[in-house]
Amino acid sequence: MVRHVEERHEADGKPLSEPVLLILASLAAGPRHGYALMKDIEAISNGRVRMSTGTLYGALRRLLEEQWIERFEQEDTSREKQAYRLTAEGRRQLEFEVERMKQLTRAASARLRTREA
Amino acid sequence: MNFKPVYRMLLRLFPQDYRLFFEAEMLDAFGRACEEQRASGRAAYSRFVCGELAGLALSLPVEWIAKLTTSGSTRARSLPDLRIMRPAGVRRELWFASARTPNAAMPDEIAEAEQHVQFCLRRMEQAIATHDFPGARFFSNEDLKAREKLRQLRLKYGLSG
Repeated sequence: MVRHVEERHEADGKPLSEPVLLILASLAAGPRHGYALMKDIEAISNGRVRMSTGTLYGALRRLLEEQWIERFEQEDTSREKQAYRLTAEGRRQLEFEVERMKQLTRAASARLRTREA
Repeated sequence: MNFKPVYRMLLRLFPQDYRLFFEAEMLDAFGRACEEQRASGRAAYSRFVCGELAGLALSLPVEWIAKLTTSGSTRARSLPDLRIMRPAGVRRELWFASARTPNAAMPDEIAEAEQHVQFCLRRMEQAIATHDFPGARFFSNEDLKAREKLRQLRLKYGLSG
């Protein structure tokens, strides 16, 4: 599935868009370059999301501008390649979003249980 | 059929700074994904190329709007941070070897003095943020003392700055 995202994500407390959340989640495990990000996002979404390069780099540009991620040069590559990694602020935003989603899930589960009872 | 020239042509329509930041990486990622999809069969490859070209075409107005509505200083954040990038002309092997042992040549005394300066600075900022002005004054004085000590240590070891 190719997604294109137009909405401006966050910094103002709104939920993160799915591509942004997936990029942050992927980078939380370690630094990656663009192609590796595309593959990892496909893997962590169980093949549901296949981000196009246009969507991916648009989101990366916004995240760089927000300073949630940063670029650096990766040592262990044979090709000249820059990689991306989370900044402390990016990690904080991801933790905040995960907490928000957990809270929503708890609330929704509680409602479902009430309905079943 | 090779769609890389078409992809490259579409990329040329993007703002110049965006291309400067991402064009090479995007072409590389597209090329690698193409190779992979080609191996999965003609139908998968066609779907992939259509998705990529459509995604790029849809990104085009978004990137122009972003370019026109974002200040230059904010957009410049997409540039590599030179403090963590290898300077031009420095070989990869040398750069990463020095990164593995960043302070090998630096005496412990200087490293500790630098940490103390950072500590005083952080505490001063925290005090200001919480409106603890006597505390901020105290750490400001400590910061000055720590910097003077660091300066003298650098002179002692013959290090500039």
